[in-house]
Amino acid sequence: MSAAPAKSPQAGPRWTSLRLRLVVVFALVALTAAVSASGIAYWLNREAVLTRTQDAALSSFRQEMQNRAATLPLRPTQAELQAAATQMAAGGSPGYSVLLVDEREPGKPIAVTSDSDVLTLKDVPQELQDAVNRRQKVTEANEFPYHLYWVRVSPKGKPSLVAGTKVIGGGPTGYMVTSLEQERDDLNSLAWSLAIATALALLGSALLAQAAATTVLKPVQRLGDAARRLGEGKLDTRLRVSGTDELADLSRTFNKAAESLEKKVADMSAREESSRRFVADMSHELRTPLTAITAVAEVLEDEADSLDPMIAPAVHLVVSETRRLNDLVENLMEVTRFDAGTARLVLDDVDVADQVTACIDARAWLDAVDLDAERGIMARLDPRRLDVILANLIGNALKHGGSPVRVSVRPVGHELLIEVRDHGPGIPEDVLPHVFDRFYKASASRPRSEGSGLGLSIAMENAHIHGGDITASNSPEGGAVFVLRLPLDVSRTADGDGDGDDGGDGGVRDGQEGDSQ
Amino acid sequence: MTSVPFLLLIEDDDAIRTALELSLSRQGHRVATAATGEDGLKLLREQRPDLIVLDVMLPGIDGFEVCRRIRRTDQLPIILLTARSDDIDVVVGLESGADDYVVKPVQGRVLDARIRAVLRRGEREANDAAVFGNVTIDRSAMTVTKNGEDLQLTPTELRLLLELSRRPGQALSRQQLLRLVWEHDYLGDSRLVDACVQRLRAKVEDVPSSPTLIRTVRGVGYRLDSPS
Repeated sequence: MSAAPAKSPQAGPRWTSLRLRLVVVFALVALTAAVSASGIAYWLNREAVLTRTQDAALSSFRQEMQNRAATLPLRPTQAELQAAATQMAAGGSPGYSVLLVDEREPGKPIAVTSDSDVLTLKDVPQELQDAVNRRQKVTEANEFPYHLYWVRVSPKGKPSLVAGTKVIGGGPTGYMVTSLEQERDDLNSLAWSLAIATALALLGSALLAQAAATTVLKPVQRLGDAARRLGEGKLDTRLRVSGTDELADLSRTFNKAAESLEKKVADMSAREESSRRFVADMSHELRTPLTAITAVAEVLEDEADSLDPMIAPAVHLVVSETRRLNDLVENLMEVTRFDAGTARLVLDDVDVADQVTACIDARAWLDAVDLDAERGIMARLDPRRLDVILANLIGNALKHGGSPVRVSVRPVGHELLIEVRDHGPGIPEDVLPHVFDRFYKASASRPRSEGSGLGLSIAMENAHIHGGDITASNSPEGGAVFVLRLPLDVSRTADGDGDGDDGGDGGVRDGQEGDSQ
Repeated sequence: MTSVPFLLLIEDDDAIRTALELSLSRQGHRVATAATGEDGLKLLREQRPDLIVLDVMLPGIDGFEVCRRIRRTDQLPIILLTARSDDIDVVVGLESGADDYVVKPVQGRVLDARIRAVLRRGEREANDAAVFGNVTIDRSAMTVTKNGEDLQLTPTELRLLLELSRRPGQALSRQQLLRLVWEHDYLGDSRLVDACVQRLRAKVEDVPSSPTLIRTVRGVGYRLDSPS
């Protein structure tokens, strides 16, 4: 496969791979065709060659038997017999050896051979001798008592044709043997040629299968790559359509699907964008009247003591609700900034323990919070956002868990771990996954809380923008545990914009640390 | 400095202008108001206020531009009033020369505290002088001279230089400087310090891009050195 192996998790030889299957099928078809064609060709050739050689030898032998052996006198001498055999062997057109058997006196057979190395009576199979010597009944269908019989043998791996017959009317019995080695060699070389041709056909079919697979699989692979890119969110991915085949159709369908997907996503994000902008604009617009109201509300609050006791509570209510509204709008603005991705970090180097203490102190929580933090843990982060996170986590713990709330700070590797643990009833299991959801209320009937419903969600967003995280769980000893993880140096892990250092003098640090008080 | 601070409030929204005027007057300030940047600049020339509270979103020339125009001639403190805490606005505001900023909806008390903190920066202190290279800081006259020439510094820039010069060779963190100079609580925006250091460097350093007086101490903050 020419697929980039890094991209495809199943790259490498796959037994289910289409390419492999194609090659195997092509090869099987080619093999079957080549083997059957070669087999038939070989078989036909073999028969033709053998039959021709055999017919020539047999007809020559028969001729010689008639010409020489039949003309021998009855009861010939061994010398006469030997002379006839030698003549027969010399006169035969394909070279063969002759063995003649006759009886000089009854019960005393004489066997002479033209070439004792090649043919003796022992070399003639017994079955052939029996068949040759068996006298058959002369009938209408069978006019002769004796026939010519032959058999193919290959003693010691040398193929040869052995034939025998008896001269009718009491002549000698003659046997001949002729070598078929030449024919065997010819047939062997034919077999070799056919095998090579078969192998070539196999190879050719494999190459052909490769080519066919490539023409099919290239577009399929391009389609696969395009689909993967589409899945990765590159919605402008399109395929080049060429040709009019099924694959071109598929490409066209893919393009159409991608196009409508892109349009739909664009529509959706436009709608989302406009609704986000609406919230942003709305919270923005709310600020202008709120600013005026806030300023005036304070003036009213200062005067509340000197007001009619009937009016004073109303003024206090206006003031406190104005503050709530302020917080809500503030949180909404914060959320829209996160959603729009315009939230930025303003990094500074701070002592974490100082920051946590200041956060608790500023909200008058010192009595309700057990702080376990050593001074000297320096971190590079956005102190305002850390304060937002801590205020939300600790405020949440105080509200739902009750005091004392334990806050512990410790560095772990390159991370800062801040754990906020309360001693309340903990968080119900079904609520746990939703604690960071916006406006999530544990129960619909829960009384209106003083929070905006955005606090933990904003805390989470603030942790994320640092490249950190918050996890919520229940402690085995009871009570909820929120763990905030932040990198100790955000500028090194996150994209690190908003770096406060101007680095004018190359950021030389010469060991003179300020006493961080 | 008069005992009753005289402020110029430039804000286009009637309700906010009225409410803030009311609130600031009650805090004991004398307040003049303008609805546009142009009117504000005119009032500035006529009435010479001690401090300007400037809205960013103004019809016509916006708050940043007003800020830049004031800085060309005057070093009086400017507090930006921004309805957007979008960070880019804050950065642009600080770069255009503002001393501090507050985000709407602002509480009158917070704005008052900021105003008083900014005004305190111009107050005189102990009678001594310090020399750093070719820059001389005269604490009694509240003047800074470089090669004998007077430098025009805003009260904030001056206070920052004074705080740094009080601890020469010692690095001060941004949070420390925010407390000392801006009198912010622990959550001060460190970009105030960075922006002010930039402006200060532009005035006191020979080559602002490679400072020899106000050095950055990475991971800590800033330090004032005598050039060796």
